[in-house]
Amino acid sequence: MSLLSLIVVTPLIGALLILAIPGTRTKLIQGVALVFSALTLLLTGYLYAAFDKTVVLMQFVEKLSWIPAFNINYCVGVDGLSVALVTLTGLLTMLAIIYSFNITVRIKEFFFWFLLLEVGMLGVFVALDFFLFYVFWELTLVPMYFLIGVWGGPKKEYAAIKFFLFTLFGSLLMLLGILALYFNSMPHTFDMMELIKQGSLLPRAMQIWIFLALYVGFAIKIPAFPFHTWLPLAHVEAPTGVSVILAGVMLKMGTYGIMRFSFPALPEATKWFMPFLIVIAIINIVYGAFCAMAQKDLKKMVAYSSVNHMGYCMLGMTAMSGIGWNGAVLQMITHGLITGSLFFLVGVIYDRAHTRDIDAFGGLAAKFPVYAGLMIIQVMASLGLPGLAGFVGEFLCFLGAFNVWPYYVAVGTIGILVTAAFFLRMIEKVFLGPFNEKWAALKDIGFREMVAIVPLVLLTVIIGVWPKFCLDLIDPTITYLVGMIK
Amino acid sequence: MTLSYYLALSGLLFTIGLFGVLTRRNVIGILMSIELMLNAANINFVAFNRFLYPGQYAGQLNAIFIITLAAAEVVVGLALVMAIYKNIKSVYVEDYNILKG
Amino acid sequence: MLEYVYILPLLSFAVAGLILAFGRWLPLKGASAGILVAAWGFSQGLMLFVKAIQGTITLPYEMSIPWFSFGGNQATLGVYVDGLTIAMLIVVTAVSLLVQIYSTGYMHGDPRFKRFYCYLSLFTASMLGVTLTNNMMVFFMCWELVGVCSYLLIGFWFEKQSAAYAGKKAFITTKLGDLGFLVGLMVLFYATGTFEISKIQELAHAGMIPAAAAGAAGILMFLGAAGKSAQFPLFIWLPDAMEGPSPVSALIHAATMVAAGVYMVARLYAVYALSPIAMDTVAWTGAITAFMAASLALTCFDLKRVLAFSTVSQLGYMMMALGVGGFTAGMFHLTTHAYFKALLFLAAGSVIHAVHTNDMREMGGLRHKMPITYITFLLGTLALCGIPPFAGYFSKDEVLAAALARNPVLFAIGAMAAAMTAFYMARALVMTFHGKPKDAHKHDHAHESPAVMTGPLILLGAVSVVSGFVLTRHEMFEHLVNFEGALPFELHHVNHSAVALFSSIVAALSMSLGVWLYKARPDIPAACRETFSPIVNMLEKRYWLDAFFLKLVDIGDSLSRFMFSFDFNFLDQIAIDGWAWLTLKLSKIQGWLDDHVVDAALNATGTITMSAGRMARLAQTGLVQNYLLFVAIAVSIFAAIAFAG
Repeated sequence: MSLLSLIVVTPLIGALLILAIPGTRTKLIQGVALVFSALTLLLTGYLYAAFDKTVVLMQFVEKLSWIPAFNINYCVGVDGLSVALVTLTGLLTMLAIIYSFNITVRIKEFFFWFLLLEVGMLGVFVALDFFLFYVFWELTLVPMYFLIGVWGGPKKEYAAIKFFLFTLFGSLLMLLGILALYFNSMPHTFDMMELIKQGSLLPRAMQIWIFLALYVGFAIKIPAFPFHTWLPLAHVEAPTGVSVILAGVMLKMGTYGIMRFSFPALPEATKWFMPFLIVIAIINIVYGAFCAMAQKDLKKMVAYSSVNHMGYCMLGMTAMSGIGWNGAVLQMITHGLITGSLFFLVGVIYDRAHTRDIDAFGGLAAKFPVYAGLMIIQVMASLGLPGLAGFVGEFLCFLGAFNVWPYYVAVGTIGILVTAAFFLRMIEKVFLGPFNEKWAALKDIGFREMVAIVPLVLLTVIIGVWPKFCLDLIDPTITYLVGMIK
Repeated sequence: MTLSYYLALSGLLFTIGLFGVLTRRNVIGILMSIELMLNAANINFVAFNRFLYPGQYAGQLNAIFIITLAAAEVVVGLALVMAIYKNIKSVYVEDYNILKG
Repeated sequence: MLEYVYILPLLSFAVAGLILAFGRWLPLKGASAGILVAAWGFSQGLMLFVKAIQGTITLPYEMSIPWFSFGGNQATLGVYVDGLTIAMLIVVTAVSLLVQIYSTGYMHGDPRFKRFYCYLSLFTASMLGVTLTNNMMVFFMCWELVGVCSYLLIGFWFEKQSAAYAGKKAFITTKLGDLGFLVGLMVLFYATGTFEISKIQELAHAGMIPAAAAGAAGILMFLGAAGKSAQFPLFIWLPDAMEGPSPVSALIHAATMVAAGVYMVARLYAVYALSPIAMDTVAWTGAITAFMAASLALTCFDLKRVLAFSTVSQLGYMMMALGVGGFTAGMFHLTTHAYFKALLFLAAGSVIHAVHTNDMREMGGLRHKMPITYITFLLGTLALCGIPPFAGYFSKDEVLAAALARNPVLFAIGAMAAAMTAFYMARALVMTFHGKPKDAHKHDHAHESPAVMTGPLILLGAVSVVSGFVLTRHEMFEHLVNFEGALPFELHHVNHSAVALFSSIVAALSMSLGVWLYKARPDIPAACRETFSPIVNMLEKRYWLDAFFLKLVDIGDSLSRFMFSFDFNFLDQIAIDGWAWLTLKLSKIQGWLDDHVVDAALNATGTITMSAGRMARLAQTGLVQNYLLFVAIAVSIFAAIAFAG
């Protein structure tokens, strides 16, 4: 069994093992979940280390026949586009599991679904067969539905069903697109690499239809305006660990899909769609930032800032150049780290105060210096402070897109300002000013929470100072991909 | 004596038997009437054999078969009657209406 | 020597981390480490300066290592050292060192003493990064980092609501300018294909950058400089930034960070020099700022704010100098200004430390109580006002001469600003140190500050006295910091001595007037306040610029509320949930149709079959005899048919 298959299977084994443990033995269940997610992380870490940075093509490819009658194969592989995302998934899942040790109801089911979710996410990033991709894509949906619907907040059922239906709607359109590609290929195949070769031969109108069908599926996940409204709701209702995964990994599946497949396979349609995509990206940036500014709920604010940040990602994609694409991929990863940790941090305060109302706090920095420090670092990273991870990706996105769309980009910079404005206002209201005595009894951040958050903060700083660490993996593949499309 | 006398006798017997089957209330009576109809058939077999194929015995043979069969029929029939009687406590056929739709 | 210059910012970064992590175990809670590193940095800067003057090192020097590559481009980390860098380096390290020494006294006993030094070191590191970097991308990074340090330090006493607010205001206002910087940087990148300063300069000198691109980049980046260096209309944050501790005001908001904008324009002077429009934008913005800010200082009663407005005004001078082609003049003014303005702020801090108020109306008569502070403040004032032979005289004179050479109107504005500067500084001096104590209680408790605070004051005072004179010997500064490229416009010939004479007379007269008015006839200014109340009102409202920006914030807020309401009420509740609602309704209709049409038809079939069955059932009597009868009848009928056929 190749390394990638092992990575995908490990959490699955963990999930099945958890099913076999009696539900009352909570410590054991938590232990098994932790061990298997850590094992997955180790394997992805090994993948990261073993990945050959100089090779632009797919590595660790494994291909097995699955349903020969329809030429469906089990085919996995990674390149510079996906390898960092796989590692990110492994890392965030483990940290989220550690954080989720505070879940007290239905522990067995929780960790089962969580590990199953990891299987789906890892599968999406490594699948090279479109059918397999779709299977994994859908596999993420069900666990997420339960994780939100069972362990969520007051409006969890509504949020879960909305998330489910919304994304299902998108993935059905995506399925249509996939099938259209399948039946237009000769011989019929689901192989992504093969379809990328053949896609450009399709007539323009056909390309556009397929592109749109795929785009809707991906855009809902990103989430791109106007398909983003499930996101704030789902984030607010989901338990902390799930929010982290949702923002940190699942949103990336959308942008990853577009970059992995839509752009290379359908060049004509891509050209046609670019003017729309840049507008959507700018709307995401500016509109997402403004919406975030209107929020009173800390978590909702971070959720809307995700809309804004994924806008940067799309902005980088519209550049159609190595600079912008590097930025887009880096932005995916750094957004995972930064927003993931922000959700953790919001969870920390919510677990203590049982409120997320920004106006309810005040002066916490004096009382909780560690918590405030971590929060301020991550907020600064999120608003694109140089020296922290957010900046490099964001800057490259802007820089790349500026060459093609200077005026749009100039408008987009408003988003940076508004982001800074609402985050700083949040810091002012929550951490600065006179201390609100109501919270005098609260404790500063605990050990378990530190374990979940500090690695992300460290990575944020490391990537910010030394982005080579990440970009070296991405750059060769991206340069190759962009060259291929052009 | 011509064939038609035998046939007439046989017809008469059959008709009596049929009448008995259709009208008797007592299930034993019905069984007895069936015997009459069987014997009417026997008369026919024997008579046709005697007048149409005098050198052969197929008709007589059939008649003997039917007599045997009639005996068997009575045995089975009476056993059934006994079984039914045990359940329904009646020998009158109008009570045997469990097949009613 | 030069090869190791990159260690300067790195060491400061490291020491910031060190103080944060281990500060509590270090002498003076980590302040010692910060001071040591700053002292070492200053010694390095000084050595570089001396060697550069002697000509024993070759400039410019450049060194870089690859940082990361993106899409075929290479970003580098490295240093670029020329005369300009060295001039700035000395300013940064010197002021940082003195401020850190001073702060051990000023911040003594503060519960977050350790963190204060961590921030200061972080700031010094970032500022050294701005100074030394060899490419604009890292420049922008460090530029933003100093902004954050400024944010953290302004809001250092964050329990005070106003301090927290001021920090945020500073950050967001400068960020507004930085948007321009960012876009300008991108224009520059695509015009030159690189971020490296030396390459950009080369291309600019060779005329390889189109004038339009250079102009656009220049003006856009100047927006960033306007934010950082508090130029019109973005200077609104600087007066509020005085909420921070006084040493911070001296270091960040007088000497170094606010000068970064000026430094940036100087750094890319080759680009600016390609475009007369960009140059004029810089010059006029500078002139307007110099004038406006000086006028604002006239009515202000907060000692630190007077100094803040004065800083804004002097920064305007520097910008104006750069804009009119006075490259050396502008940078010279930056250098001298850094020392005497840091001095003034530290002296003001010393006063505030003693009387625990910023309000000049509660001070007065402090010169006997705090003689050292008084003398050094006086030296700083004289230097700022441009009285010969103090430092400001030399630099201001050069700025005015450069302005006259370009445009007499600019010169006139500059001269007016100079007159106002002398006046309000005289006012501040008199109100603070002369006359009778206005608040006896505060006066009684006032005392001279400890030696760690007065020491830096004395040093800076000495520098303020001699630096102008020394640096102009043998045109020392001009040799170090000059611009060799061509300017995009012709300059008039100017008689320097005449300008110098004129400006010093103006300053002296204006200062005397100020002293006389506030010392002998304080009733006249009071009467003037009454008479010109609309103007005073306008000045106290800061030309309504604050209101304007608050209005912008309001608009942003309403916009955000509108967008969110659109997002939630329309997009989410109607456009998306509307689908769900519609689907539900449709399903209801379908359900009804299903019940009443499709299902009914099906049921009808059933019913008909049932009734047919019910009728057929009648024949099933269950009586064998009946059945037999039917059989008999049927047989009879068939027989009849058979025989009849």
